[in-house]
Order: sequence, then C-alpha cells, then structure tokens
Amino acid sequence: MKFAVRLSILGMAFIVMFSIIGLRLWFVQVAEGPAIAQAAEEQTWLVETTHASRGDIYDRNNNLLVTSRLVPAVFVDRTFVQPEEKTSLIQRLSSILAMDPRALETSYDEAGTNGRFQVATVDSEVAYQITEQLGNLPGVEIVKVPERVYLSGDTMAHVIGHLGLPDATDLEERDGLDPTVRIGKLGVEKFYDDVLQGTSGTHEYRVRQGEIIEERPAIAPVPGSSLILTTDSELQQVVELALAEGIALSNDVKAIDEADGEEVFSETKRAAAVVLDPQTFEVLALASVPDFDPQVFVTGIDDETFSALNDSFAFNNLAVSGLYPPASTFKAITYTAIQEENLPFPSDIEGVDAANRMIHCDGQLELPNLNDGSQQVKPDWYAPNNKGWLDIHGALEQSCNVFFWSLGLGTWQNRETVGENVIQDWAKDLGYGSETGIDLANEAAGIVPTRELFEEWAEYQRENPDEPPRLDNSRLNPELVSPWFGGDLMDFAIGQGAFTATPLQAAVSYAILANGGMVMEPRVVDKIIGPDGEVIEDLSSPVVREVAISDRVHDELMQDLNRVVTTGTAAKAFEDFGPGLELVGGKTGTGQTSKTKDNHAWFMGLAPIDDPKYVVAVIIEEGGSGGGIAAPVGRHILQYLMGNEPTPIIAGQKAD
Amino acid sequence: MTAVLNRIREVAVVRRNNRSDWVLFGTMLALSAFGLLMIYSATRTSGTFSMERQMIFVAAGLIIYTVTSHIDYREYRGILPMAGVIILVLLVAVFFFPPVNDVNRWIPLGFFNLQPAEFAKVVVIVALASLLAPAASRDELLSGPRTLSWGRVATAVTLVVVPGVLILREPDLGTALVFGFILFALLFVAGASWRQMATLFTVVVVGVAAVLRFDLLSEYQMDRIRVLFEPEKVDPQGIGYQIAQSKSAIGSGQLLGRGFLAPDSMTAFQYVPEQETDFIFTAVAEQFGFVGGVFVLVAFALIVWRLLVIATNARDRFGALIAVGIAAMMVFHVFVNIGMVIGIMPVTGLPLPFLSQGGSFYMAMTLSLGLANSIWLMRTPVPGENQLT
Repeated sequence: MKFAVRLSILGMAFIVMFSIIGLRLWFVQVAEGPAIAQAAEEQTWLVETTHASRGDIYDRNNNLLVTSRLVPAVFVDRTFVQPEEKTSLIQRLSSILAMDPRALETSYDEAGTNGRFQVATVDSEVAYQITEQLGNLPGVEIVKVPERVYLSGDTMAHVIGHLGLPDATDLEERDGLDPTVRIGKLGVEKFYDDVLQGTSGTHEYRVRQGEIIEERPAIAPVPGSSLILTTDSELQQVVELALAEGIALSNDVKAIDEADGEEVFSETKRAAAVVLDPQTFEVLALASVPDFDPQVFVTGIDDETFSALNDSFAFNNLAVSGLYPPASTFKAITYTAIQEENLPFPSDIEGVDAANRMIHCDGQLELPNLNDGSQQVKPDWYAPNNKGWLDIHGALEQSCNVFFWSLGLGTWQNRETVGENVIQDWAKDLGYGSETGIDLANEAAGIVPTRELFEEWAEYQRENPDEPPRLDNSRLNPELVSPWFGGDLMDFAIGQGAFTATPLQAAVSYAILANGGMVMEPRVVDKIIGPDGEVIEDLSSPVVREVAISDRVHDELMQDLNRVVTTGTAAKAFEDFGPGLELVGGKTGTGQTSKTKDNHAWFMGLAPIDDPKYVVAVIIEEGGSGGGIAAPVGRHILQYLMGNEPTPIIAGQKAD
Repeated sequence: MTAVLNRIREVAVVRRNNRSDWVLFGTMLALSAFGLLMIYSATRTSGTFSMERQMIFVAAGLIIYTVTSHIDYREYRGILPMAGVIILVLLVAVFFFPPVNDVNRWIPLGFFNLQPAEFAKVVVIVALASLLAPAASRDELLSGPRTLSWGRVATAVTLVVVPGVLILREPDLGTALVFGFILFALLFVAGASWRQMATLFTVVVVGVAAVLRFDLLSEYQMDRIRVLFEPEKVDPQGIGYQIAQSKSAIGSGQLLGRGFLAPDSMTAFQYVPEQETDFIFTAVAEQFGFVGGVFVLVAFALIVWRLLVIATNARDRFGALIAVGIAAMMVFHVFVNIGMVIGIMPVTGLPLPFLSQGGSFYMAMTLSLGLANSIWLMRTPVPGENQLT
C-alpha cells in the first residue's frame, strides 16, 4: 500500500472522529438542548428555607402545654464564602461557639457548594457577639428559629411525645421531609406531625460572586396548627403521682412479704393508667411510668442518658403498647357473656348447682376427664379459702375463679350448641384483640386466643422450628385432636392463658359496658385550631358500632361492680373513699405471666354507676395483687374524680 | 551564546520561493485569540488574571512558532538523543517536587510550572518519525520494499512506552493515551503490515485487560471510566457533577448560544468546575451554541487538513511522518477533550489545543505547528539537494 493511500485512510479515520463529535454536539445542543437549558436555568436559583413555627398544644382546659419560641441561631451560607476564606471562617466561628472545628468543617462540607446550614442555636449574648463580628465572618447569619418549649415538663410526656431529627426510615416514608427539621417522634407530636409542622417559607435568589443579583418574591412560612387535647393536666398529675405512689407501695409490700418468707422476684418499676370518658371516649388522662422530659430532645441528649431512658422503657407508652393478661378484670366481660348468652353450667362435676345457677367456691375445681391433656384438678391459687356457694353476682364480687372456670367448662362441654368462641366474640366486640384506633402511635392489638389461632400457631411452629415457640411443644403432639384445650377456654374466661390486652383496651371494654354498648375510637386530641384561632377540625369520635347489652344485665353489672368496692375484693382499699361510694364500681385483677415474675396488679374503676362519666384503668406491672396494690391507686384517682379529698395510697386486701 | 546564535542562523534557511503556511498560522492565531476570550468569559468574575497570564503564553508560543518555523527540521535528527535524555530527566524530575492536587505533573519554575509531558509528545513524535523514516539512499527507497521490520516496530513501541509509563505514574492517563494513538497512526502510515498492527493491537488489549484485572489504575482513574457508564452512582459532587454541569452548560447553548458574556449563563456563574482549562469547550458551546462549536471543530479540521497536506508535500519521509504525528496528536486531543465535555469519553484531563488555559501545553502546540511549518517551508528541494518523497 502506498504512503498516500495509507495517509488517506488515516485522514478518513480523522473525519469519522470529527463527525462523531459533531453529531453528538447536535444531539446535546439542538435535539436535547431546550430541555437541558430549562433545567440549567432552574439550577442557578438558590432556595433559602424559613421553617414554620410548630403549632402549640393545649390541654382540655386551654392550659398551654407546649409552644415554640424564637431563639437566635447561627447559619452559614456557603454562597457568600470564598473558597480561600473557609479555613479562617471555621476557625473563628468554632472558637466563638466553643465547638469542635472538625465538626463544623464536616457540616460545612456536607452542605455542598451553595449550601446553607444551621450551625447551632445560641443565647442572645453569643448572638450579639457574632453580630458585632459579622464583617469578619463571611456567609454567617443570625436568624431567629423556632424552638420547642415543653411547659408541662414530664407531665403527660407519653401523650405529648417529643421531637427528633428524621432518620432514614422517616425520610423514606415521608416525601419532602427536610432532614434538618425536627419531626414528632412520639405521642401527638408524631401522630399529628403534619398538622403541627406548618409549611416552610422560601426565598429564591441568584447569586454571583457572593452578591444577590436577582430574587423572586419571598413566600412566608405558614405556622402549624395547634392541638387541644382531651386530657386534663391537673387530673393527669394526680394520676401520675398516684402511679408513683402505687409503685412505692408495691415495693414496700414486697419488702414485707420477703421478710415474711414469701417469694418476691423483682423491684416494681413500671405502671400505667388511663382515665376515659365512656360517653365520648375522650381520654382524660393517660400515664405511663417511667416517663421522660421532652425538653431534653430540644437542648440535646447524650447517648448515655438516652440509652438509660430507653432501657428503662421510658419511651414506651405502656398504656397503649404494654400487653398484659387482663386477668380478673376480664370477669366483667365473661359475666356479661354468661348473662346475655345464658351460658350453660357444666355437668358431671361436683360443686355445681345448675338449677340455681350456683357454684361452690371452695378453692378448687375437679374436672371430668376431658381426654385432651388438660388438668384434672384446677386449684384456685388466689382464693383457696372456701367462700361457699356463690351465684354470678357473688362470684364477681369475690372474683371467684372456680365460678368462671366452671362456666368456661360448661361452654366447652356445650360448644356444639352455644358456639365455641362465644366468650371470645364478646371480648372482640368489646375491643380486645384489635387496636382501639386511638390517635397515638405504636398501639398494640393484643391477643384473643381461639382454637383457630392456636392451630395457626401450631402449624407455623411446625414449619419454622427455629423461631421462638409461642406454644408449649407438648401441644404439637400429632396424637392430639387440636392444640386448643378445654382448659384454655376456661383460663380465657378468667382473663388468663395466652390472652393479652393493653390498659387502654381494658378501659375501652369497661367504657362500652358502662355506656350500654356504644363503641367509639378513643381520642387524645379534641380539636385542631388554626393559626388564627379558628377550629379547623373537631375530632369528636362518632359511634362506630353498637354492642347489644340489655338494660337488665347492664344494671346488674353496675350494681355488682359497686359490691366489689363495698364488700368485695376492693372493699379494704375503698374503706376511706368518703361520700359517694355507692356510685362507684370497680374490679380488681391479678395477672400471672410466668412462675418467675411477680403478678401484675390491675384495677378497673367506674363512676358514677347510674350515669358513668369516668372509666379508670390502672396497672402496676409486676406490682403484686390487684386488691392490695392497684385498687388503692384506683381509689385515689376516683376520689379525685368524684370530688372527694384523695386519701393516701395504702395497701388494700390481698385479693385477686 | 554566540555559538548558538550562529548555529541558528546557519540552519535558519530563508526560503524566498516558499511561503509559510498562512492557513495553518491564521487558524492557529484565530483559535488562540478566541481561546483568550473564552478564558476571560469563564473567569471574569475573579478578574482578568487568568486571561492576562494566558496572553503571555500566547506571546511566548508565537515566538516559539516563528523560531521553529525557520529552523530546518532535519537538524533535529542530530540532537534527538540529547533531547530524549533531557525530556526523560524532566519526566523523572516531576516526582521530586511536591504534588499539586495529588498529582506530580509539574516542575515549578517560579513564573510558571513546566509540564514536561507536553513537550515529551513533540520529542516522541520526532523520534518516532526519525526511527520509522528510513535514513537510506534515494535508490534504496525507490526500489526497496516499503515494509517495517519487527525490530523497528519493537523499538518504536519502546520509544513510546518508556516516557508513557513515567507519565502514567504522574498520573496522567490522558497524555499517556495520546502517545499510544500517535504510535498507532505513525506505524500505520509508515507501512507497518496488518499483522504487525494486529499484533500490537492484541498486545494493547491484553495489556488493558491486565491493567483492569490487577487494579493497576488508581481508584480515581477507574472512577473516571466508570462514571461514563453509571454517572449517577459515582461521586455526584466530583466527576459526575462536573460532567453533569458541563452537559447543562452545553445543552443550554442550543443552536445559536446565549451570547458572549451572557449574564445569566452557567459560564458567568462559574458553575462548571475547571472550565477555563479542560472544560473550556463548554464556554464556547454555551455562549455560541452549536454553530460556535462547529466553527471550532472546523478550525481544527482546517489545521489537520493542512498538516496532512504538509505531510504529502514534505521533502522526505521524516518530515512527512512528523506532520502525520502532529496531526494525530491534534485529532486525539480534540476528540478526547470535546468527547469528554459532551459525555462520550472519560474525564482524562486532556486540554483542548489553543483554547484551554495552560502554558506548557500551549507552547508545545505552537512548537509542533512551527515544526510543521518548517516542513512546509522546506518542501521544495533547493537546487543541488535530493528530492525524496
């Protein structure tokens, strides 16, 4: 091949290379150009965001609980910082603010070329000092930013909640979240975050060499709306104090028991209570101990303090997310089911007078051979003493396990005719086993055990042997007809077994019984108020559905619940109630979870029984007996609600 | 000093009957002037310092062009070994100076930073041309086979690999690639057989595979290749950001551009990193649009066309191969630089001839065109000389 030919080939290769460039240039500039130009135009605009002031929170009596105040904050806008000024700026600013220059440099770098970021909130003295030196601090601005103030301190902490910077999950779940703006992490601060948050204002401008050359009209931030809670601060304080005293009482009693040689497993630390208006389902008070001060999340909380609080369950709202066996408090529900459904008495066992619908409460129940592995003799561990023959009214008053067991057994024996899940259906109708729908996050649903559920669990457990078992492995025996036994139904009838519920669910079930069958969703927020004070939304809960409860059963139940506090298991705790005891109802409960834990102390209260306005649920976790520990706490709260001077919380009788 | 001046006078043959390649010179001058305007537009918010500095280099470059034009290019054959040694020493010397932005490319001389790799390109072109143009008698050339021995090919590869490896170590992947492109172009034009080309090509492919397989490229070099294929994954504030900004600027130029010194252009806001050096083409494309970009391409095409004309008219094979080498260098710079700016080539840091800011590069470019002009001036043999084609 001649030189000239080779040179021509090379020349053609060059032409191809130039053509590729030319074509691509056509594509980028002429074909795609207009779209790219549009995007590039937008890119030259910088946006400065002004955060909206968060809405306030008031209690039901319009007491201001949470507000926001404007505090000076130091911002750095990198648009106005020349690259060579960076080092000296970071040095000067970090020394004025007494902060680690490396931390400041990290935020600076993360903000990006034209980024603007908040360095810290400062007190007015430091703000003044910086203002004087602004000439030496390029890009630095002092801007007033809203800061949350919790006037209520740690009162009502779990209802109110707290703020925190959004984490990865928050940013993923919610569009348009500013990663530098704190959002609600708990309580109504979280549940109503979008209402409280408001809309940020924006200011768009273009900058060349640190000077604004063009701006668009600024859009002012729209402040967030405010909340009026259904809760009453004063009542809340009474409830929280009563819980603290109940915990102290429990620990005193444990010390005495231990000295007497009784087995005590651990110190009592946690408790929860709910006060609900059964006519409106407004939550009047809702407390969980231990609690925390939401303000620490504003001023900054170190990892150690946070972990300590977190480990103590301070951030868990036990009233809506704590799950406990409802124990004897559930007898009021079984009571209603027995009455309404006329549940049958068992046959073939001693101590049953079916004709008079009475059971001999002698402390133990002898069972026929149910041929399914259930126990043959069930001892009533908490009422071993002979109470003689009791009808359903006496059985509720004395919290007789044998009576309700017997009716559970009778239901089991006649399950073909009355239906196997008749008691569970009543429980579900009254709100157990599903969320109540309260406007607070992390609500637990609890478990209402049935044959279907146990069989589902057993199947899952056989297929996934490596996961933690929910049922005892002996129940998986293939020779058994079912992993669900007659004994399970009997235990369910007294609120035990695999049955769990939250204190709020217990309160809701009593509220439905008290109001004659109206089911509503409980609320902690009453109204949403706009920035100008007008009511934006009234959150009064409508009646979702109704449960048919006859007036006779309702009235008898109210009377029997009154007998509990006058002559029954809570009588001692209510000795000093004062006037109006005849209008108060209650039910004690002692929940067993394991043989190595102390019992949970429950008390459910209700007043006035002729026209119920208050339902009170109290649980002292691993606190001991319901009658001894929880009933005095409930009595104290009811005294306050009924206008009596609350008397000191001292131990009631040890009763189930 | 007088000895040197005498020598220059001796070799500076004044050719009255031959005229300089005015198209070549004119295009170079136009591009340089345009380059100054582009540098001004890209840096004006920070003052005129960058442009003024480049003006000094342009002046120096024009002197270099004029002097080189009037030195008989054939004289370089004699000083090639010395030039080779000097350039190798300089290429090693860069490693003894503190790195700038983590790379060792420059020797600080106070008034400016010398980048030996830019001049190494010219030296390697001349050396390759000398090696591949047989210094034989006219008869031999006319009758003998136009083939290259394997030994000569191997020597040519060595001539490129030795400085190439040093430059790759700086690291400067772009410049090292220029060497490879020049080598291929010159071997092909000088008459390498298809088998030789194929063998060399295979060696390069295997070599590249080995480099990728054994991680011989630094992380940042790998990123620059990766960002071509997945721009959103690799460091958005770094290279990917640079390419994105560059594309925005070019795209917003559209057909006719936003106008010179348009106040709201990305160029005016200095939104394209390193715009006055490697990304200078974005200033052209944004302010003068597709039309302006094509004008610049046409200007480069003119230069390359002239270089190839010079090659065909050169008095000997040595001159012809020098002109081809210079043409290959120009084309590769233009293709890779603009290709990078519009996102079809990796960010290798190759500047755009005559437009990008940078002293060594500008002067090396005028040096090479001066060389080409010298070949043009020498094209007709003076009476009594042998004419070799």
